[in-house]
This record gives sequence, C-alpha cells and structure tokens, in this order.
Amino acid sequence: MPALIEVAPAALFVENLFFRLATAAFLVATTGYILNLAGKKEWGSFASQALRIAFVLQTAFLAIRGINVERVPFVGHYEFGNLFIWGTVLVYLWTEWRQKDRYYAVGAFLLPLVLLYVIYVNLPLVNPVHRPLPLVLRYPLWLNIHVSTSVLGYAGFSLAFALALMWLLRAALEHKKNAGQVPLIFRAVFQVLPQPRALEDYMYSASSFGFLFQTAMIVSGSIWADASWGRYWGWDPKEMWSLITWFVFAVYLHARFTQGWTGFRTVALVAVGWMTMMFTWLGVAWLLPGIHSFG
Amino acid sequence: MTSEDSGLPERPPSPGIPYRQILNFLSSMQLGIILLLLLAVISVFATLRPMEEAIEHIYTSWWFIGIMSFTALNLLLCTVERSDFLYRQAFRPNLQLSAEAIKKMPVSRMIKLKRIEADPLSGARAAFRAGGLAVRIVDGPSGPLLFGEKGRLGYFGSIVTHLSLLLILFGAMYGALTGFETGGAGMSGGSFFVPEGNFRVNIHEVKMEYLDEEGKVRPRAKSNVSVTRRGEEIGRQLVSINIPLRFEGTAIYHSTFLWVAHLTVTDPQTGRTTGPLKLLPVRGLYAEGIFQAARPGNLRRELPPNTYYFLEDKGLYLLARQFVPDFLTVSAERGLVSRSYKPNRPVLSYYILVEGGPTPRWDLLELGVPKVVETVAGPVQLELSGFENAAVYSIARNLGRPYLFAGAMLLLAGMYLSFFLVPRRFYAVLDGNGTTLAVGGRGYRNKLLVEQVMERIESYLQQKEGN
Ligand code: HEM
Repeated sequence: MPALIEVAPAALFVENLFFRLATAAFLVATTGYILNLAGKKEWGSFASQALRIAFVLQTAFLAIRGINVERVPFVGHYEFGNLFIWGTVLVYLWTEWRQKDRYYAVGAFLLPLVLLYVIYVNLPLVNPVHRPLPLVLRYPLWLNIHVSTSVLGYAGFSLAFALALMWLLRAALEHKKNAGQVPLIFRAVFQVLPQPRALEDYMYSASSFGFLFQTAMIVSGSIWADASWGRYWGWDPKEMWSLITWFVFAVYLHARFTQGWTGFRTVALVAVGWMTMMFTWLGVAWLLPGIHSFG
Repeated sequence: MTSEDSGLPERPPSPGIPYRQILNFLSSMQLGIILLLLLAVISVFATLRPMEEAIEHIYTSWWFIGIMSFTALNLLLCTVERSDFLYRQAFRPNLQLSAEAIKKMPVSRMIKLKRIEADPLSGARAAFRAGGLAVRIVDGPSGPLLFGEKGRLGYFGSIVTHLSLLLILFGAMYGALTGFETGGAGMSGGSFFVPEGNFRVNIHEVKMEYLDEEGKVRPRAKSNVSVTRRGEEIGRQLVSINIPLRFEGTAIYHSTFLWVAHLTVTDPQTGRTTGPLKLLPVRGLYAEGIFQAARPGNLRRELPPNTYYFLEDKGLYLLARQFVPDFLTVSAERGLVSRSYKPNRPVLSYYILVEGGPTPRWDLLELGVPKVVETVAGPVQLELSGFENAAVYSIARNLGRPYLFAGAMLLLAGMYLSFFLVPRRFYAVLDGNGTTLAVGGRGYRNKLLVEQVMERIESYLQQKEGN
C-alpha cells in the first residue's frame, strides 16, 4: 500500500513544464553539436550555450521535483534517470570548460548518448509518480553519498563510452581513407576528430574518474545496507552488476596501464564496461528480480 | 628507458628456475586480469539464476571462494614484489640526466632564450613553480639540472589500493567465519533464544507509531528489547527500523512487524472457553504456497508454529490465515484488502482443518463479533477478541566490520592517490652554448596532464621572454 504524495496541480504543472523545456533544450544542443562536427563551425558555441541552458533547466526541474517529493529526487527510474542526465551533463560541461572549443567534437558523441537517456525518462513506461521514501532507506548521510557518487560514476563511464565511439568512428574513417573512399559528408568529421592516442588518454581519464566514484558508490551502498538491513553485501543482482561493471573497468585500467594495451582492445573494454553499467541501471530492474527494484 | 612510463614491473630474470617462474606467474598482472574477468563472467551467469540458488551454489561454493583466494594471493604477491620498485621510484628519482636524455622524454621542449641572464635557470625555476612543482637544483652530467616534481604519493596509489582490497577480503572472510545471520520474532512479553550467539532476546513491548492521520503510510514499529545471557543483561534498547541494537559485534535489526490475532473459542454445548489464543496469520508470514504445502495429512509436520491451535477434544486445527486492521474488501489475488494501517475495522480470516480432511474454504471474523460455525465435530463458537503486533528481527554478528570499514576507506584513499595525485616530474638543463633550455617532463599514468603542465611552463617562459 505505498501511499503517494499528493502534489498541488500548479506545482505539478511547473515541474512538468521544466522537464519538457529541458528535454527540448537537450534536443537543440545535440543538434548543434552534431552540426558543428559536420563542419558547421558556427554551431559549436551555440550548442554549448544551449547545453548550458538545458543544464540550468534540468537543475531547476530537479529542484522543483525535490520540493514536490520533499526529499532529494532519486527514487525510481524517472528521478534517478534525470539525476543521471544532470550529472553526465555536469561532468561534460566541466571538461568542456577546461578544454575549450576543441572539445565540442566530444559533445557530438556524448549528447546523443544523453539524448538516449532523456528519451528513456520520457517513455510512458517510466512512471513519474511522486512517492515517499521507504522508511528502511532513510539514512540520509550514506544515502546521499551513495546516490551522488553513483551519478558521478555513471557520468564518467558515459563520457568514456562517448570517447570510445569517437575512437571507433575515427578508426572506421581512417580505414576508408586508406582505401581512398571517405564519403564526402565525413571529410569534415575526420578533420576535427582528435588523434586516437589523445582519445585514448581522455578515455582513460574519464574511466578512472568513473571508476573512483563507482568504487565510492559500492562502498557507501554497502555501509548503508549494513546500517539498514544488517548486511553489507547481499549478492542481489543490482549489487552484483555494479561489481561486474567495476571488474570490467578494473581490467581496462590494468590492461591499459600495466600491460600497455592500446587501441581497439581497450576501446572494446570500455564499451563492454558501459554496457554492463547500463545493464546495472536498466537491465537488472526490468529483467532480473531483486530487492533493488525500488530503483 | 626506466619503467616509469609503462608501469611494467621490473621482474628478476627467471632462468629456468621453476619456483621463480611460478612466483612470477602468480604475482603477474596477466593472472590478475584473467581472474578479474573470470569473476566477472561467473557473476554474470550467477545473476541469471534465482538469488538464493546463486548464493548457495555459486557465491559460497568452494571453487568460487577458491578463485577469490587466488585473487587475494595474486594481489599479495604482486604488492610484495612491487613495493621495493615503487619505493625507489618515488624516493630515488634519476637525476643524472643529460640534455639528450631530457629531449627524449615523453613530453619535451627546446625553448630558445633571447636574453642571457646571470642565472639562466632562474626563469625556468619560476616557471616550474608556476606549474605547481616543488623545485630543486642538482648537479647533472651537463651542468646544473633543474628538477621539479609533484604528486609523489601517487606512486603508492596502487599499493594502498591493493592492500585495502586484501584488508576487505580478510574482513569479509573473518566476518563470515566468526559470524552468523539468523532471525527471530515475538510479541510484547515474549522472548527467544539465539543459540549461535548464546543469548536470549526479550521483547518487553511492541508499539506502533503512526506517521500520518489516516494511517495510509506504513507505521513504524518500535520494540523495547533487552538481551540477556544466563540472566545477565548485556544490551537493551528501543529497536526500530534503521535503529538496531548493537552489542559484541552483533546487531539486532527490526525487519518487519506482523499482526497477531487473539482468538477465543467457546464450545456452545458446554460453554467452556479457550483463549484468547494468540495466532500469527500464515499469510503475513509465508506465501500462500506454503500453506498449500501443508495439506491435511501433513498438518502437524508442516504448519508453522504459532500459526494454529489444535483443539484436542474435537480434533480440529484452527489456523489464522490473514489479518487486516482496516478491512475494505476481498480481492482474488491479494486476499483481504485493508484501507489503511490503522485498526479501524480489524478482520481475521481463518481456516478450520481436520487431519486427513479436504482443504476447506476460509471464512471471516470481525473484531468482537462471535460466530458459531458448523464443523465435522459439531458447532464451535469463534471470536476475534483482540489483536496485537509482533516484531520480526534479523540478527547478525559480523566481527569483520571494523576491517571492512577500514579497508573501504583505505580503498578510496588508494584510488584517490592512483587517479588524482598524478606524479609528475620535470627536468630542465641549459643546452649547447647556454641559449636553449631543454625541458622534459614525464608522468606516471597520465601523459595528458604532463602535456598541460608543460604548456603552462612554456607559456610562462615565453611571456617572461616577451617582456
Ligand atoms: C587481481 C590482482 C591484481 C593485480 C596483480 C594487480 C596489479 C597491479 C599492478 C602491477 C599495477 C601497476 C601500477 C603500479 O604499480 O603503480 C596495478 C595498478 C592498479 N590497480 Fe591493481 N592489481 C590487481 C587487482 C586490482 C583490483 C581488483 C583493483 C581494484 C579496482 C586494483 C586497482 C588498481 C589501481 C586503482 C591501480 C592504479 C591503476 C592505474 O593507474 O591505472 N587492482 N595493479
């Protein structure tokens, strides 16, 4: 009998309005970054501006949502998904701010990924109802650490995957170029894609960032579970899949650093790592039963 | 080239000595990668099976624990083998570098000096400082060598990380070997013994705390609990959700609450009453399926304790099925449906079973409304005469907790050292006739950052030259 929180119609309207506006702004920003990549340079800074606006709108949406549910909004796929989008864009904007406009090309790969997440939270099957937090989960310190670190971990891995996609596209174009047949529309793209080595370095940084926070997420989750349920590790599928993701990225970091792996093998590991991350987030909830079904 | 960039451990040669070869393999990163991948793949398959099955047949199997132990051994050996190398790396940097060697570094620049100063390295020193480096000048093979470094502790990131993982594995193992997990339940005034810990849990009172007016929100059950060993009290506390009672590395957690029905039975012929009997509804405790398993014929063996009462003189089993505090309706899949958690209209559903008889249908009783029912042994009057709450606990001892916690904190520290304290070293000497500055830099793990710092140093120097 999970009671729902009754939200005033006006408050609900404002919440939904900001959600829709943010969605629209993400769409615009994505288009801008892609046009920039395709050689329309003037779209770069426009896209970046649009993304900043989208970020502000998303922040406002989450704040309103937080007021409406009277807590940090992270329960269920709708709230966590939106928080995850927010974190991913935050991490991206931060790196873009440090790297300046030469980083816009990365945006053309990350933003479609973000848009995928945005589409997901817009799907009818993702229920946006306002629920109170189950009592057992009310452990504010560890809970908040757990949620924020998971958002940042996922954000780092998403950025790493976007870079992996870039690397793959570049490799494919390189291959075509050697055969002398890069399609015209890709000429411009090829020009702005960074060197594979640089991409791999970025990928490493993003992965290690994600890995640190993924570790913090697992640790804080265990401490929280120990406090709430009396066991720090329950072998439930959500826990296991976050550990699997962690294993995959651990392998990647070791292979790259200690074994000197480069190129496709490392890119493939990052891609697999991102897939396991996505499965931890979505696959476990939709396909595997477990006590984490609350989100 | 030193192994500063690749991170490949320097290994003693293994000229055909099997023991050395085995040791090298056991401490190798290759084995580490294989083990991590193996653990990942097994875990994937394990999650496809039901959780209890996976725990029983995979996670606690000898071979899974064996792989984990191998991983621990691998980590331990690797750490031991590598610590000396990393120590030298951190504290004994090679400062005997010629201009040629500096030019060949992963990141290097040749910077033309326009003005020759009395102390040509002073500009570079300021530039290094501006790049955030701690600087000193030493004698090198081609004259004074400027050496700047930062993030030296970062060399120890992997060691701290690996040791922390070992500590976590140790804590988990120690906790598993010395600990236990069990459950228990009871009403006000009840108690139960926990043989694993040799103590008794006494429940003095179970109270319900309603969080809203209508009782729509699940209430919080609070129970006043004490723990005794041979009559001596070793712990006492008001236990509720998220507030466990802790003692001796053991914790008693509130896991849920149940409704207990008070049933009074009267024989209409003799007027003799039995009760109130305190019965736990089976539906609250177990899925309906378990009751189905308890077919007449197996009743005495299969029925859970406290859920039924055997009326000896009539040969009848009274079984509490489901209790709701605020009866609304009956639904096919959920049974009795409650409007709220508040006891506005308590209703009990029950069965009357006979050993060897058919599975009967259930019936309802409202609080304080006696009902005469016909049974194979004649009429019986039943009354739901009251109710109360029972608290259900999970009880766990985990002596590994302090090690796990320390290990977890150390793990985060180690990762921070690994990824955010990137060791970087920069070198500068004057080249040729003193008009060119050879600047070289190398980092540990992160070339990108070295490149950035180099850019900062370069632009600082150029700015200074421009003035
Ligand atoms: C399974 C056996 C393992 C072995 C043999 C092993 C070995 C190594 C080695 C040789 C390094 C080289 C870096 C250095 O010396 O500074 C390293 C780095 C590192 N290891 Fe492990 N490792 C193992 C497992 C793990 C695990 C499970 C983790 C947890 C995530 C881990 C975390 C790290 C980290 C964070 C670094 C620094 C990595 C980097 O800079 O990219 N290691 N490991």
